[in-house]
Amino acid sequence: MPTDDMLQAALTTVLHPVPSSSSGGEDRRIAAACASGDAKIFEEIYRRYGDRMKSIAWNHLGNVSDAEDAVQETFLKVHRAASTYTGEASFSTWMFRILVNTCYDLLRKRKRRIDEAPIDEVVERTSPSVDDAKRITLRKLLDELPEQRRSVFTLFEIEGLSHAEIGEILGISEGNSKWILFATKKDLQTKWKQR
Amino acid sequence: MTITCNQIDDLLFDGSPLAMETAARHAAECDACAETLAAWNELSVTAQSMRTTWQNDLLWPRIERAIREEKKRPAPRWLRQAVAAAAIILGLGAPLFYTLRVQSREAAFDRTIIRVSALDEVERAERDHIRAIENLEKVAESRLEDAESPLMISYKEKLMLLDDAIDECEANIENNRQNAHLRKQLLAMYSEKQQTLVAVLREDSNVSNP
Repeated sequence: MPTDDMLQAALTTVLHPVPSSSSGGEDRRIAAACASGDAKIFEEIYRRYGDRMKSIAWNHLGNVSDAEDAVQETFLKVHRAASTYTGEASFSTWMFRILVNTCYDLLRKRKRRIDEAPIDEVVERTSPSVDDAKRITLRKLLDELPEQRRSVFTLFEIEGLSHAEIGEILGISEGNSKWILFATKKDLQTKWKQR
Repeated sequence: MTITCNQIDDLLFDGSPLAMETAARHAAECDACAETLAAWNELSVTAQSMRTTWQNDLLWPRIERAIREEKKRPAPRWLRQAVAAAAIILGLGAPLFYTLRVQSREAAFDRTIIRVSALDEVERAERDHIRAIENLEKVAESRLEDAESPLMISYKEKLMLLDDAIDECEANIENNRQNAHLRKQLLAMYSEKQQTLVAVLREDSNVSNP
């Protein structure tokens, strides 16, 4: 069982969003701590990635309540599946993959589309200068996209992840992620001009 | 570097700061491309503003409690319940499934024949289309090998990227032949490849015959 200091050191060097094979050992140690249900590790992961996880979930599900459910479910799945973590992707990328799949599951299970869910006013925007009408338009356009396209657009354009990270999260190549983003933006661009 | 309206998409696909700068320079002198670029950039700016955050001090305690409860849950009992449930489902479901399967076998057979025939037709059309693009590729190949201008190098990289994406998409289709979405995606990739090859040949003839 790793000590707190060892895990803290590993967290400091490992828990970053860029995939890195060299930190695979530390990543596996984090995973082992998650598998054992170490609350401190989960709290640290939440402190570092909670905001980004909530944002990703919100942009897939469209409301705070569902987004928080998805984040909670993701932590439970990480706890359950941590023992199967192989270290192929960085731990954070692996966790984001679980989160995106959880969002897909919630969308299918509840059969609730984003535009049918209430628009939350409690969320704070990182760039309040863009007017809400544009955001609502884009949100509706994103809602019409197939899951994979919406995820690529969300993760790249909204969350600022790289194509390499998105490829690992969605199980596609970096080139394919780039291609999907281009095709999606072309499609959105046409509809954006018509709005 | 001077570019034409046809090349604006290639620059947007590239997406690098240099490509976007080149596109902006062209857009400054072209109203149509200026509109395209403005919509493209506006999408990105709007998307960036959609990153959200909110404070909920109760969320972490809720997650922590859920993990704690999950940890406490006795696994063997859960496993026993799952096995029992599976046995009940199998016991009740198997005869029903068998009956329904027998009834629907003939109908399914007919549907399969129609589906396979439709799939064969789609795949035949795809093969013809791909063969035509491969012929185009052979013509463009020698010109790409000697690529020296930044634009031709960019085309070469784009084609390599598209080939990777096409390989991946084809592998996915191999596992799921009936997925129409994947087929549309593949077709779009081949169309993009075709357009890029045409652009390569056009660019090459522009260079050769100034």
